[in-house]
Amino acid sequence: MSRTTETHINSNPDRWERDVPVYGVPVMTRPFKVLSILVLLALLFSAYRELAGLGPVSGMNDAFGWGIWKTFNIMVLTALGSGAFAFGIAAYVFRRTKLHALMRVALLTSFLAYACGLMLLGIDAGRPWNFYWILFPWKWNLHSPLAEVAVCMSIYALIPLAVENLPPILERYYYLRPAWRPGIKRTENWLHSWFPWIIGLAYMLPAMHQSSLGALMLLAGQRVHPLWQTPWMPLLYVWAAAFMAFGCVAGSTMLCCLVWKRPLDMDVLDEAANITAWLVLGWSALRVLDIIYRGQLHTAFVVDRFAGVFWFEMVMVLGAATLLRRSIKKRDPRAMWIGYVLASLGGMVYRFSPTTLAFRPDPESLYFPAAIEVFMSLGFIALGVLGFLLAVKKLAILPAPNQAWLDMASYARFNRPDIQLTGYFDAETHLAASTQYD
Amino acid sequence: MTITRRQLITSIAKAGVPAAVAVTVGSKTLQAEALPTPNAAVALLYDATKCIGCKACVAACAQANDTPPDVRRDGLHQEPYDLNDLTRNVIKLYKPADGSAGSFVKRQCMHCLDPACAAGCPFQALHKDKETGAVVWDSERCIGCRYCTITCPFHVPRFQWVGFNPRVTKCELCQHRLVKGLKPGCTSVCPTGAVIFGPRTVLLGEAKKRIAQNPGRYHQDRVYGDKDNGGTQALYLSHVPFDKLGLPELGPESVPARSLRWQKRVYEYFALPSLLYVGLVQIIRRNFKGYEQELHEEEKQTGLRAQL
Repeated sequence: MSRTTETHINSNPDRWERDVPVYGVPVMTRPFKVLSILVLLALLFSAYRELAGLGPVSGMNDAFGWGIWKTFNIMVLTALGSGAFAFGIAAYVFRRTKLHALMRVALLTSFLAYACGLMLLGIDAGRPWNFYWILFPWKWNLHSPLAEVAVCMSIYALIPLAVENLPPILERYYYLRPAWRPGIKRTENWLHSWFPWIIGLAYMLPAMHQSSLGALMLLAGQRVHPLWQTPWMPLLYVWAAAFMAFGCVAGSTMLCCLVWKRPLDMDVLDEAANITAWLVLGWSALRVLDIIYRGQLHTAFVVDRFAGVFWFEMVMVLGAATLLRRSIKKRDPRAMWIGYVLASLGGMVYRFSPTTLAFRPDPESLYFPAAIEVFMSLGFIALGVLGFLLAVKKLAILPAPNQAWLDMASYARFNRPDIQLTGYFDAETHLAASTQYD
Repeated sequence: MTITRRQLITSIAKAGVPAAVAVTVGSKTLQAEALPTPNAAVALLYDATKCIGCKACVAACAQANDTPPDVRRDGLHQEPYDLNDLTRNVIKLYKPADGSAGSFVKRQCMHCLDPACAAGCPFQALHKDKETGAVVWDSERCIGCRYCTITCPFHVPRFQWVGFNPRVTKCELCQHRLVKGLKPGCTSVCPTGAVIFGPRTVLLGEAKKRIAQNPGRYHQDRVYGDKDNGGTQALYLSHVPFDKLGLPELGPESVPARSLRWQKRVYEYFALPSLLYVGLVQIIRRNFKGYEQELHEEEKQTGLRAQL
């Protein structure tokens, strides 16, 4: 949380001071049920896919060996889920302390995106039973970007990212189970003492595997269109992940605030928008300069699908940068939200292209995802959304002013009087003292 | 003199920075020429000017590898349209529309000296046989990720799309026949000697001899696979341009050597990542301490429990 300087407290009544669960709302809403059905369908289709093979459920073929499961659910969604990496580095390394307010949203979305992506990766693999080789490091092919991605992503999602997501869970049980408090406090102390080492790992690993995702298509050589095929692809991939994650986390938090009627802290959002805009501009500059340096600019001025996709992507990211810059000046949350969405979408198009839209296998062939393939892809995204909806109602994830927490405390007083939500540490004596002197 | 933890860390860092930089900068680049060549590299030499397109090699290949013939096109004849999950070897026809010279071409794995498929294969399921240099597939290691079908510049490995236990199908140079002292299936039946089998050095000499004896007959008077993509163990002679036969101009440097150069340097002995990690943690430790302090102050002020 961004509890920075006291001058802010009075100037901004909407300041996001702490994370508060969405309380007093049922978990089993209609969207929740619809998403559950999608997840169930996806699980049924997964069982069918394991028996029938990949051909009957997908549009993948000899020319396009990779479909949307790898390209969308892994390449694109883990980039959207790089919030833990992007926000973490900005807040803990570059001391953009305001961004701490969005940290828990970033951590949660990251964990869900990675977990759901890895699950679908297991289903996408034709011979998943051989994954056990991952336990024998001397059998890894250290030159392979894909081995790097598989190993690094699993370790990241299962260890540092999972540990980073522990505090909200510990916090919940701290309030609900007073008997567990000593144990929870011990865990928290342990966590605090090791935290820098854990989050250091949580920034190294994504930097490595997000860049290796870019290195994947380096090996495809001239089968990837020259507008995309560049030795800088690893850097462009991590960089795109950073601004896509900013767009995704800030954008989805804004959406949540709209749905659950919470104030928007424009100080935090402006900070995020500013960083996103500059990340987008720097990234586009590198992308275009690299194309010019390699002498491939003329391929962008031909009428074909490659140039079309390139300009589509460019218009989206540059539009995003413009909107975000302008929204900061005009204090316009609507333009800002569209800017965040455009930044994410532009990055999505970029990361989606090298394996599909800009991939030129020989013999030329077509790939279009089959219906079951799309359903499974959506189903595993729905699983992530379900996790998000459940988590924000059970755990303190979404940011709000301190007042929201006090409101929750008075709401809880009637149905759970045993839960103590306020009055910790010397605050009571402090308050008592202040009333005395009043 | 006692050494504090801070002093220890800084002195390690002082030694570590130059060491990591030296390892990263000084590490040798990945080069095809520097790769260990197999002891007894065998090869195929295919001469398109001799091929009559009888497809005896296609049938012999299926037989040698114990694969059912691919009759999916008309239910009667073995007519694979291209390489596929049942076809390791195929004869294709290049027939230009303007009536100029066409050619048959035999397509199978090129057995590159520095194969992109093996470079990308996460658990070394596709690897080069140390003796013969054939690129072979190990079902025990393959996770079915299909990265090989993406990386191969010749589009050779094919995945089996149907069934719960899919395989990757590609020419393995009849490894099981070689150990018995037999030639690969395709070379044992060719009626015109369009495809022959032997040690790579011998076949390369034979190909160059044919070029010398028939000047002007072969495209560019060169052997495809001598240097292309870092050298391959399937050598081609042709009277039509190679790219018309599906053999792209890739240059003398292999795809992995060209593209994974930095990948290898950056991860050499894990020196650079480890150094970055330690440096990162030092910065985070400092900032985290300040943040914890801030949380504590806030907690005191509001009486609400701090959230990490």
